[in-house]
Amino acid sequence: MKVEYVNSFYKAAKDVFQLMVDIDPQRGDLKLIENISNDKDANVELGVIGDLKGTILFSFPKNMTLEMVKILSGMEMDKIDNFASSALGEMANIIGGNALTLLAKHHYTCDIVPPQIFIGEYKPHPIDSDKALLLPLLTPIGEFDITILLKENK
Amino acid sequence: MMWKDKYKIGVELIDEQHEELFRRVSEFTKIIRSEEDWNSRIDKVKETMDFMKDYVIDHFNEEEAYQAKINYPEIEIHKKAHASFKEGVDNYIKIFEEEGFNEDRIQEFGGKLMTWLIMHVGNMDQKIGEYVKSKGGQI
Repeated sequence: MKVEYVNSFYKAAKDVFQLMVDIDPQRGDLKLIENISNDKDANVELGVIGDLKGTILFSFPKNMTLEMVKILSGMEMDKIDNFASSALGEMANIIGGNALTLLAKHHYTCDIVPPQIFIGEYKPHPIDSDKALLLPLLTPIGEFDITILLKENK
Repeated sequence: MMWKDKYKIGVELIDEQHEELFRRVSEFTKIIRSEEDWNSRIDKVKETMDFMKDYVIDHFNEEEAYQAKINYPEIEIHKKAHASFKEGVDNYIKIFEEEGFNEDRIQEFGGKLMTWLIMHVGNMDQKIGEYVKSKGGQI
C-alpha cells in the first residue's frame, strides 16, 4: 500500500477533528497487521470502490466516542445509542469522503459505500486475510485507529 | 450544539439563516434526547421536523440563488451536496411515513443531521465566504 493512502486519511481526519471537535490528532506509529480487525468499542466500516478497492475501519474507545458526541451536541452522553453511533458513523463518512477527494489529486477516482457501524469488537472477515495498515491517532480525549486495506483496481 | 463565530462566512443573510438552522437543530436534538416519555414528545418532534424540512429547503434555495448571483465557481459541487442531503432527509421521511415515528430511527436521524450540518456549514459553506473575500468582499 502506498504512503498517499495513509497520508490522505490522516490529513482528512486531522482537518475534520479540528473543525468539528476542536481537537488536533497526532500520528502514532503505523503498524502492519495481518487482517482487518479491532477490539475497540465502536467501529465504523467504510467500503471503497473505484480505482482503489477495499475497506477502511475507524475504531474508537467508548469514552472517546461519548466525549466526541458530547462536544458536538453540547449534551451529556452516557451510552453509545443510535444517536451517538449515527453521529460517529457520519463523522467517519465525512473523513472518508474528504480522504477520497485528496486521493483524487493523486489520480485515484473512488467512491464510498455508506458506513456500517459495529458496537463492540470488529472481528476479521474469515475469508479475507490481506495485510492492512493500522494508523493510531492520539488525542487528549483518547486514542483511535484508522485501519486501511486498499488495493489498486485500475 | 453550539453556534460558533468561526462558522460565519461574512454574508449576513446566509449567516443569519445558518444560525437559525443551528438553533432549530439544537432544539430538535434537545427534544429527542429528553428523558420524558417518547409519546409525550412525538408531536413536538413531528412539528420541528416539518418546520426544519421546509426551512432547510428554503435555505438551500436561497444559498444557491446567492451563489448564482456571485458566479460562485463551485456552485455545481455545492448543489450536489445539497441535493444529496435533501435525498437523505427524504429517505428518512419516507421511513417515518412507512414505519411511524420510531424513536430509534429518529435518534439515528438526529445524530446524522447534527454532524452533517456542523460539517457543511463549518467547511463547505466557508468556501463561499473565502470566494467573496477574494473578490474584495464587494459582491
